[in-house]
Amino acid sequence: MQARVEQWLRLHSYNVRICHWINVIAGGYLLLSGIHIFLDFPELYWGHTGYQGYPAIFKLSDWGLSWDEAGALGNRMWGRNYHFTFAWVFLVNGLIYVGWSLASGHLRNRLWPGPEERTRANLQAQLREHFRWGAPARAAETRYGTLQKVSYLCLLFVFVPLMLLTGLAQSPAFTAAWPWLLDMFGGRQSARTLHSIGTVVFVLFVVVHVLEVLLSGAVNRVRAMITGRFHVVEEEQ
Amino acid sequence: MSTQANRAQRPRPISRRRLLVNVPALGGLLATGCADAFRPPVIRGGLVGAADVLTMSTSRWLLRDQPLAREYERGDIAPDFPTWGQTNPDDEDYQQHRRQGFRNWTLPVHGLVERPREFSLDDLKRLPARTQITAHVCEQGWSAIAEWTGAPLAQVLEAAGGVAPAARYVVFHAVDRWYESLDMFDVVHPQTILAYGLNGGDLPVGNGAPLRLRVERQCGYKNIKFLRSIEVVDTLAGIRRGTGGLSSDFGFHWYAGV
Repeated sequence: MQARVEQWLRLHSYNVRICHWINVIAGGYLLLSGIHIFLDFPELYWGHTGYQGYPAIFKLSDWGLSWDEAGALGNRMWGRNYHFTFAWVFLVNGLIYVGWSLASGHLRNRLWPGPEERTRANLQAQLREHFRWGAPARAAETRYGTLQKVSYLCLLFVFVPLMLLTGLAQSPAFTAAWPWLLDMFGGRQSARTLHSIGTVVFVLFVVVHVLEVLLSGAVNRVRAMITGRFHVVEEEQ
Repeated sequence: MSTQANRAQRPRPISRRRLLVNVPALGGLLATGCADAFRPPVIRGGLVGAADVLTMSTSRWLLRDQPLAREYERGDIAPDFPTWGQTNPDDEDYQQHRRQGFRNWTLPVHGLVERPREFSLDDLKRLPARTQITAHVCEQGWSAIAEWTGAPLAQVLEAAGGVAPAARYVVFHAVDRWYESLDMFDVVHPQTILAYGLNGGDLPVGNGAPLRLRVERQCGYKNIKFLRSIEVVDTLAGIRRGTGGLSSDFGFHWYAGV
């Protein structure tokens, strides 16, 4: 005899869902507006100084897009207006998320790896499992995996603060108030270069994140991030 | 949002006393304009406008003790400081002054000053000079370090008898129809200078000869070149499109601290 048990679980709280989709919008605008700003001056340098003619460490023109072509694509006015606008949206949203995560226990219970997870054996097992193609069990998983927890925590507490600081280290007002920003990254242009590298890291994160969703039951996962409800089917023999 | 209504109910978190303590010689200028330090003269609508105010008020709160922008060493000076944007205005009057080595060039300082007057280049050079090695931070993304020499704006205004109590903004008109404005918070800052010298020599034509604005805690587009006249006003309404600068007329944020 075969028994089929169907269940709808409450997977994501309101806070997670709302913060997630605001992040999608803010992150999307930050990326797009950041690309606009970059295209208007498509070279990267290291140190305090960098301008057209100064030794660059990256030139978009070496990659087939000339200065004029890039400039025609990039609108720095639009880019600056929306980059700073959505930086605020992203920051406020992030602070609300972290504040709520701390207060509600979300950080402790759902995001922070437990003692049994913080072992070499578990990490090795998770890595093996993760890179094994077509693992079917993941589609029913309702808790974050250890690797997922580690990447979310790194994103939240390492990557985002570094993006914020490398962004502010390019500002003449903030660097006058906090000159240590310039020393921390070795100069304004170094900060700009690190900020650009961070953009690539952000794109890679999004690509992997979306890929993971697609590979672990896309409809169910996306529905859960919208409605909060996650469909679980268990078949018993 | 009406700026008029805003003005009345806005608290004044920067105390005048505090500013007076930090820049005592400039006290006379500080009788006005402190509430302006936290918001642009014209607040744009929507989310962008809200972010503008957040950005500006956060920056200005962090700068409330009026720190200097970093000053660098001679060895940090860029080998060939870029000339960007307008590099030689196609203006009959300007070209004549240029050919004469700016001997007969003068800078009118008018509006809400006690004694409106014109300054020759020599008049400006006779004022106490300030030399600063700073980074020019272009909003495009480039930055270059140079040594600027000039007369602090506050000294120039003092030499015109000081500003009237109603004064809130200083407007800079340039030869090429470019214009910009600063609120008193940046006007009184010691590094806000009218520069006539670059790296020990006269200011080259490509960099805005004979006189350009240096406002070191804001991006490149506030540092306008080829100054023609300076006007002290109580409101920016009625000047061109009323936003306080050609860049902000186009759609850039008037406050260029980030």
